[in-house]
Amino acid sequence: MRSEFVRIYKAVHTWTGIIAGMALFIAFYAGALTVFKEPLARWASPPGAIRPVALEDAQQLIVGTLAAHPAAARDFTLYVQDAENVPARLGWHVRNPDADDHDDSQVRHYAATLDAYGAAQVEETHPSRLASFIDTLHRVVGLPADSDPNRWVMGVVAALYALALVSGVVVLLPSLVKDFFALRVGKNLKRMWLDAHNVVGIVSLPFHLVMALTAVVFAYHDGIYAVQDRLLHDGKWGTAFQRQRPAPGAAERDPATMLPPLEILARVREFSPGFEPTMLQYQQVGGPRAVVRVWGKDAAAVSPRARGGFAAVDPYSGKVVGSDSLPGRQSTPNLFISSFFALHMAAFGGTPVQWMYFLLGLAGAWLFYSGNLLWVESRRKKQARQGGELPAQRLDVRLMAAATVGVCLGCICGVSLAIVGSKWLHGLAGDANAWLPALYYGTFFASIGWAFLRGAARASVHLLWLAATITAAIPLTSLLAWSLPVLGMWTHTSAASLGVDATALAGTAAFAWMARATARRVRSGAPDSVWSASGAQARPEAGVPAAQTPR
Amino acid sequence: MATANHSPIRRDWLSKTLAGLVLGAVLGLGGSGLFLQFSTDMPLSVRGQLAMWMVPPIWLGVLGGVFFFASGLRAWLWLGGTGALVLGALSALRLS
Repeated sequence: MRSEFVRIYKAVHTWTGIIAGMALFIAFYAGALTVFKEPLARWASPPGAIRPVALEDAQQLIVGTLAAHPAAARDFTLYVQDAENVPARLGWHVRNPDADDHDDSQVRHYAATLDAYGAAQVEETHPSRLASFIDTLHRVVGLPADSDPNRWVMGVVAALYALALVSGVVVLLPSLVKDFFALRVGKNLKRMWLDAHNVVGIVSLPFHLVMALTAVVFAYHDGIYAVQDRLLHDGKWGTAFQRQRPAPGAAERDPATMLPPLEILARVREFSPGFEPTMLQYQQVGGPRAVVRVWGKDAAAVSPRARGGFAAVDPYSGKVVGSDSLPGRQSTPNLFISSFFALHMAAFGGTPVQWMYFLLGLAGAWLFYSGNLLWVESRRKKQARQGGELPAQRLDVRLMAAATVGVCLGCICGVSLAIVGSKWLHGLAGDANAWLPALYYGTFFASIGWAFLRGAARASVHLLWLAATITAAIPLTSLLAWSLPVLGMWTHTSAASLGVDATALAGTAAFAWMARATARRVRSGAPDSVWSASGAQARPEAGVPAAQTPR
Repeated sequence: MATANHSPIRRDWLSKTLAGLVLGAVLGLGGSGLFLQFSTDMPLSVRGQLAMWMVPPIWLGVLGGVFFFASGLRAWLWLGGTGALVLGALSALRLS
């Protein structure tokens, strides 16, 4: 390839990377955690106080609840599997019609149970929004709400990310054979970081291409559908998903005559033996178009959504009326569409693939962090070999280094504090959900401020220790809650919940190791660098008195 | 930089980027239109989704590759010509 192309694409890579890199770090760090959204929700859910109902009594619960609350017949869910984040056997939610479809904070949740006399009782519940708060950070690159304009911002970031991937490959191609898997560990730290950036980028390239393209679709699908409807579908797209209208005069039906849930589950298991049902979503049960979506997972198949797929069943006859979204039973074109979602959301292959995606997500976050660091290193002013004056590093380089450290480490600290706070504030302040944004954004912006105030070198060590400390507080909170029940907190002992504690412990060790390594470099690394405390003293216009006091 | 048998590559950031953005969208939408014409045996809900999914890869693929053109003018001519062919084929198919 002609070297001019490499130079042109290097410019594309630099600019797209530097504009989108920090937003992508947040999306990938929060996204890696979102792979384990359900364990996080279970960890953060207070123990239920609602009377449990056996699955055998579910029919009585459904009939009793609908008699008392006919509006619930529109859409309610019966949970098959018990978990900490499932408040009751039966539940439904009501969306605020004025709020965005993706805005979970405006949703009201209700749960139903049977009292000692077999009568249905309904109460409003307030499930923890911790997991969906982290998911929202992931979906809209750290912005506070999953709204249309914020998704469009995310779409621009995703498109820049796609360009950065293409241009990065073009830049690396001519030397790929030479550089691939060559991790030159040695004195030339920049060479080593570049080698590592290249290896991680090339090895996880398919993962990143999938992420970039699906993220662009998630941001702009409404717009693309609208344009295609006008230009290509002649306005008929809206009819594509309409089900057949029922015959006029079709009678209302009595939900008491539906098959019991256990019978419906048996029919679905018979239809697809490998499928593990998790919940039954009943829709329009009193009307002629009654259907129950039996949601679940099949580790051996591709699932169309993060929470799995479903079989559509007629609750009165028990007949499976639709398997378009049932893992393992989809038509080839439907499977093709589902695989886009599954490849983004790790909805295939079960837990091993989820762990793989978790690690790939963290590696992706590191890819953007290291990209910014390489930008900084490439603009380093070197000290003359025979010693002499330390050159002052450029202002834009110092600012970029501080911004990278502040944004990336601030995101890590903020997410960990939101996790810890979701447990502590439940006891102290009642509704922990309202505090989550304050905890996250307070930590995030304070970290950025600290990074600019103290410079990248010192702040990186402080913020890494802070990240290690707050992350350590996640398992410590569980330990404390277990040993001191008087605090009003809880410790779940399911594998999923303890897995959150164990992962946080591993994260603590990783942050502590990084903090020690960074401190060593800040103390005794090459002084002609933004990563050196002594180098920071050489700034002529340093506004920070601490940086000018001799050590 | 430019040798005798190598004409120089012009950077033309603005015109190349615009060509990638505008004509990439034209090619993406036109390509999805051709796909819809050749997939009438599938239900509309399925082929409509597939047609939507194929727009961003084509669009971003064009935008990613547009800097390989020797100049912004060439990018507009080649991509514009391809776009005209795709749209022409699409209108011929839709009218027939």
